Amino acid sequence: MNRTVFGRRAALLSGVAAFAGPAVLRAQSDPIKLGTLTPLTGAGGPYGPAMAKVAAAVIEEVNAAGGVLGRKIVLVSEDDQTNPDAGVRAARKLIDVDKVSAIMGTWASSVTTAVAPLCWESKTFLTTTSGADSITQLPHQGYLIRTQPNTVLQITRTGDFLVSLGAKKIVTLVPQTPFAQSSIDIMSGLAKKAGGSHVGLIYDDKKTTYRTEVDQALRSSPDAILCAGYTPDTVVLLKDLYRAGYKGKIIGQAYAINQKLIEQVGQKDIVEGVYTYAPSVAEGSNALERVKKLSGLANPDPYTSQIYDHANLVLMAMAAAKDTTGTAIKDNVRKVSQGGGKTVDNAIDGLKAIAAGEKVDYSGASGPCDFDDKGDILDCKFRYEQIKDGKPVLVKIV
Amino acid sequence: MELVLQAIVNGLVSGALLAVPAIGFTAMFAVLRFPNFSVSGLATLGAFAGYVAYGAGFEMVGSLAVAFAVAGIVGLALDQAAHLPLVKQGALPAAIASIASGLVLENVTRLLFGNDMRGYDRPIARDVHVGDIRFSPQQLETMAIAVAIMLAIFAALAFTRIGKAMRASADNPELAALKGIRPERIAMMASFVGMGLVGVGGMLLGLDSSIDPLTGARILLSIFAAAVLGGLGSVPGAVLGAVLIGIAEELSVLVVGSPYRSAVGFFAILIVLSVRPRGLLGERAF
Amino acid sequence: MLNYLLYIATIGGIYALLALSLNLIWGGAGMVNLGLAGFFALGAYASALLTTAGHLPIPVGWLLALVAGGIGGIVVVFSTTRLREDYLAIVTLGFAEVVRLIASNEIWLTHGTDGISGIPGPWKGSLGREGFNVVYLAILIVALAVVFLLMRRIDRSPYGRALRAIREDAQVAQVAGKPVLRFKAQAFTLSAAIAGLAGALYGNFTSYIAPDLFLPLITVYIFLSVASGGIGNPTGALIGAYLVMALLESARFFVELIPYVSAVQRAALKELLIALTLILVLRLLPKGVLPERIPRAPRGLGG
Repeated sequence: MNRTVFGRRAALLSGVAAFAGPAVLRAQSDPIKLGTLTPLTGAGGPYGPAMAKVAAAVIEEVNAAGGVLGRKIVLVSEDDQTNPDAGVRAARKLIDVDKVSAIMGTWASSVTTAVAPLCWESKTFLTTTSGADSITQLPHQGYLIRTQPNTVLQITRTGDFLVSLGAKKIVTLVPQTPFAQSSIDIMSGLAKKAGGSHVGLIYDDKKTTYRTEVDQALRSSPDAILCAGYTPDTVVLLKDLYRAGYKGKIIGQAYAINQKLIEQVGQKDIVEGVYTYAPSVAEGSNALERVKKLSGLANPDPYTSQIYDHANLVLMAMAAAKDTTGTAIKDNVRKVSQGGGKTVDNAIDGLKAIAAGEKVDYSGASGPCDFDDKGDILDCKFRYEQIKDGKPVLVKIV
Repeated sequence: MELVLQAIVNGLVSGALLAVPAIGFTAMFAVLRFPNFSVSGLATLGAFAGYVAYGAGFEMVGSLAVAFAVAGIVGLALDQAAHLPLVKQGALPAAIASIASGLVLENVTRLLFGNDMRGYDRPIARDVHVGDIRFSPQQLETMAIAVAIMLAIFAALAFTRIGKAMRASADNPELAALKGIRPERIAMMASFVGMGLVGVGGMLLGLDSSIDPLTGARILLSIFAAAVLGGLGSVPGAVLGAVLIGIAEELSVLVVGSPYRSAVGFFAILIVLSVRPRGLLGERAF
Repeated sequence: MLNYLLYIATIGGIYALLALSLNLIWGGAGMVNLGLAGFFALGAYASALLTTAGHLPIPVGWLLALVAGGIGGIVVVFSTTRLREDYLAIVTLGFAEVVRLIASNEIWLTHGTDGISGIPGPWKGSLGREGFNVVYLAILIVALAVVFLLMRRIDRSPYGRALRAIREDAQVAQVAGKPVLRFKAQAFTLSAAIAGLAGALYGNFTSYIAPDLFLPLITVYIFLSVASGGIGNPTGALIGAYLVMALLESARFFVELIPYVSAVQRAALKELLIALTLILVLRLLPKGVLPERIPRAPRGLGG
């Protein structure tokens, strides 16, 4: 058995090598290939397009300023259709056909978990916005970083914020996702410690009406409700909560209660006073302003901010490594993202500094972007905003 | 107890919204004899057409009419070009082609409008309370529109010449043809009116929540389930099926919790069909 | 490029297994199984759980996936004996959705929406990446060949003729003395078992499964495969599956050539191209690329 396998393998590989030979010689003046894999269709559709757009805008700016290591960057954007099977086929194409050094922006946790093994096995760097705690526990050998705070960090901070507002009876409404149960458990613990109470309700996020779910939520007469879903279902929840006459506090993720939702909810009352939370830009960083410009949105959602950071980090890591492979990025990304040095919030400044031999410390639109060994962000502040008169107003950054 | 009553009321409202596209679906089945799954794409198309009209200044009735017309015309074109020629091979090939048509429409919408959620610029009111039960005045208004449309359809089928011709053709195509009723014209009528209703249904749904390219896809299963439950081809059956599914889902939230609410709908259908294999009101032509 | 093609060929092979499964009961007995994704899921989860938490060897996982799919098939077919085809459709679709909901919500059993990762593949450690892909494709081709030959045998046997008779007109078949219910149940169970095996093969290949994989979309692709390949024809089912896979992937490359569109527009154009091509194939070749050949009855069976 062994001999046949290796015989076949050798034959195939030598066939491939015959094709690859001339390509290796061409490599030096070839453009650098990078990929994005975001949900352009399917359930994650509200988020993917802006993500792809911002990544492309960053690349365009950098190319106009001379590229990286004197080479231009070519970005290939694929659609994962919010489905692991389609996501893996697209990733395979990016890795094996386009030969990208990094794949950026995977969103759905199931897509990220499915794509990750392909990346670490092929030494392609993967940057993700997925929140499931299990992702950074995969054996990725350093080929994965994520800019989305994990569930413990997020929910603990949000719970603290609600308690600080005086909430005593909290209800969490969350769709069935990898972080649903852990969110509920964390919130319950927090509420109890603060002397209050908590009820967690998991709902089906593919529905167009939530009247009965809202009835259930309001049974305990809560004074604060955490809506932990995504835009399509959160729209309906907010409308149904309003119809039910709920007048207490509502808080939701900034990516769910985003600019588009605020614009289209049709009546200011429904979102008036609603709080949102998002990982925060670090002090002194202009990154968020840049994201606004690049995306054309006055209030870009956190995912768009995160992929901006992904692109910058990948580009700068390659420059610092003087090499463009996935392994080079893996070995150098923390040299540009943390550890002191000149603070930069965009790739152009960062690339200039690196070319001049300086050490940089990137601070991005989604936070300080400092990563631990497993690829999670070390810590970040959260920005809490409240919608007043149809516009988000900063409450505090904590 | 009032929780149960409230759930029933909630179900009536959501069921009424579902009834309009379900009627379109089942009426088309009665005449054209295949399940037309492109209703997902046409509901979305109707929702967007109505949205554009509403934004352009048409009032509610005008926008609904635009939704009806756009969906009706596109549905008719698709049936003529893609689906009906396949019915000769059987209902299933036509049904499969209609799935592909639904995907075409979803992506045309996405191409033109992107994935962002949009909403009608319509103020939302808080519910009114009658005793312990709360009603949403706007959802009641939407329900009233749905009921009015249903009554109009019933009346048209019962009293107008073309309505009677449709029923005759659905009942017994050969006999109807003998009597001078041209089957092709009936088919076109069925496509146009059926899909128009689906388009209006999409817009009513959008009025209630929001619209995006996946609006119709979210309700496709429920539309099919409602029509099947009531008896494929039976218009009153579709209404009954839609309302029952609406109520069953809302009640199930109280019993098995929201994540399993769709499952209960399917179990209900299995039980009903096991007892009455042709649906609640039986398979009829209208 | 090679790894990519190997991957597509393997996934195409799994679609082909599913297409063969559907062809047996649709082309065979005329039963509309819109719940393919559910049996696919049953087999995938059975094998995944048994080979990870259960530490059982992979072939055992695959065998039990066959069994799991088959049991699912028996349950469905016996709950729906009184149902006619159009009505069978919605119930089987409901079954698939219920399976998906259970997979999403019963976290203690299935890890919920997190999915099951680290599913072992045969000889994965010792073969290296390319070696594993090639070997797995070979295993899949063997499985596909076995199932295909079985399907063809059935197709040409008296049993297959009886199934087709049931498809054409169940009442007449019953009058002619064929045990309709038993035949339909057998065909449905076998079909469900094959779909379960396909699920197991998928999981042990990609090393990860999640409820998101088992949406109705995959059932749609398989229906499109069988319809475009040729209903009632196992070879047609095979060809149809690879046709659909080739279409799904080549559309990517076509739309890359279109200038001045944003990423989301390009994605919409890709899906549009795929759907339009399928409608065109169905319209121009309504009986599929390889229309069904009704095999002649053997001589000696009367004039």
